[in-house]
Amino acid sequence: MSRRARWHTGLLALAGVALALVILVPFGFAVSASLQTESQLIERPPPLVPPTPTIDNYRYVFTGQVPEAYKQRALLRGSVTQEARVLPKGLRNSFLVAVGVVLVNLVLGTLASYTFARQRFRGKQVAFGFILASRLLPTMAVAIPIYEILRQLDLLDSKLGLVVIYSAFSLPFTIWVLTLYFRSLPPEMEEAARVDGCTRFGALRYVALPLAAPGLAAVGAFSFLFSYSEFLFALFTTSSTHAKTIPVMISSISVNPDASYTLVAVGIVMSIAAPVLFALVFRRYITSGLVASLTRR
Amino acid sequence: MVARFYAWGTVTPVLVLVALFTLFPFFYALVTSLHRYVLTLPGKPYVGFANYRAALSDSVAHSSAITSLTFLAVAVPLVTALGLGVALLLSQRVRGFGILLVLVLLPWSVPTVSAGIMWRLLLHGDFGAIDGALYRFHAIDHYVQWLSSSRLALMSVILVHAWREFPLPAILFLAALQTIPPELTEAARLDRATAWQRFRYVTLPLLKAPLMIVLVYETIIAISVFDVVYVLTGGGPGSATTLYSWYTYTVTFKFLDLGMGAALSFLMAAVLIVFILVYMRIVRLREDV
Repeated sequence: MSRRARWHTGLLALAGVALALVILVPFGFAVSASLQTESQLIERPPPLVPPTPTIDNYRYVFTGQVPEAYKQRALLRGSVTQEARVLPKGLRNSFLVAVGVVLVNLVLGTLASYTFARQRFRGKQVAFGFILASRLLPTMAVAIPIYEILRQLDLLDSKLGLVVIYSAFSLPFTIWVLTLYFRSLPPEMEEAARVDGCTRFGALRYVALPLAAPGLAAVGAFSFLFSYSEFLFALFTTSSTHAKTIPVMISSISVNPDASYTLVAVGIVMSIAAPVLFALVFRRYITSGLVASLTRR
Repeated sequence: MVARFYAWGTVTPVLVLVALFTLFPFFYALVTSLHRYVLTLPGKPYVGFANYRAALSDSVAHSSAITSLTFLAVAVPLVTALGLGVALLLSQRVRGFGILLVLVLLPWSVPTVSAGIMWRLLLHGDFGAIDGALYRFHAIDHYVQWLSSSRLALMSVILVHAWREFPLPAILFLAALQTIPPELTEAARLDRATAWQRFRYVTLPLLKAPLMIVLVYETIIAISVFDVVYVLTGGGPGSATTLYSWYTYTVTFKFLDLGMGAALSFLMAAVLIVFILVYMRIVRLREDV
């Protein structure tokens, strides 16, 4: 390798390391903060690695046992907050809501997309256009009316209410991606199955669906991440731990000026663990789905 | 006959669900915007376009629109440039870069709220790690109030927004870069074009379509940004980070002036629709190519 090329590779490697640090340091700091005591964390500068790692903060969240470190009052800035105790419930709510939305998307989205991709019927263009255009409405504009709808349906402060809203918001994207996906599959096999007496649904179920698995994985991952993370609607349609999702709970702890930062950090770690894992597992599908949805037509 | 029945049978559930949460709310909000509808006042009289007139002459609405424009003017080019830079970096064949492809998705995958709170700890003006590190390396001689100084708060919000948003353009640009045949840049290299010339005259023209898509998409995202402001600054200090979307939120949910809130939303929607039309045009243009 010439000297110049070596320099070149060295610079690229340096930039790569910088990028990795920019991405990872915030995550790492949150994890590190969650394993410290408040008095350690509020030192100037705060330690990047916990001097004496402790899981007391997590233990408090799950069992309610107040960490020893919080009994030396004078040294502390914030204190433990009961709000943190409900985090596991928020996690559970977020999961149930997200799984519900994924199921609705996979079932209703697949059925409709396959029809849009393969069948001709009057009104198809209008129906398809309407579903896609619905995504363009700014959420803030429809927030109050949606609150009103949930109230009428008696779905305020319920997980089901969130599932319904998120499904309505994620289905357009799902249908967009899946219709593209079904269209990109060669139709010959399905036609052969139809000739052999398979119904339209049968052709979808036994021929197209197995081939569309990567597309399904992509939309599943999207609708999961979207509903797990959504904030605005969860914020104002839920009021109790019965339905509050994890983003709502951690935001309320974080804007509480008296809450200990270590508990805030615990909240962050608990809220990001699942989506990070999800993104790592479904990376390929997410990437190809994103690229397809934004560039193809 | 059966085919048509099947077609509508599969499409209708989605149509009903989507219509219930878009068509109905749209008209409901439209009607609301034409009424004086304040939850703390009795009655709901029809007032014509009074809410729109009030919104257009409201000084806070003006200043928040300017703040939003500032946000757009910095955030959109920043996110686009970061995305492009990261994509160019990742497209190089360097050993170990595979891991970066995995990492790059992470900021985008976590809830915006979580990302915001994470950065709130890092940027804290008294105990933050960033101030701590800068101070230790003598880059600053006193702690900087990233989030509570009116001069810096908006920039801090933009930086956090950019940190969470850059993965999406990066992935798009990377996908586009991989469709460029390496022979093109190779030919330019043989013609003794410098790295910058190869980028400027070979790569960049081929990235035009994704570039436009990213610019408009990021504009739409930046106009409706909300979660980051909620957890980082709450619109403050003063009104330093009161973006238009944040102001709409406060009018609706804090002042409980639903009529005015709806009017503000529709004005924002009008601006958004312009961007969306541009967006759709660009995507269609690309199809013709």
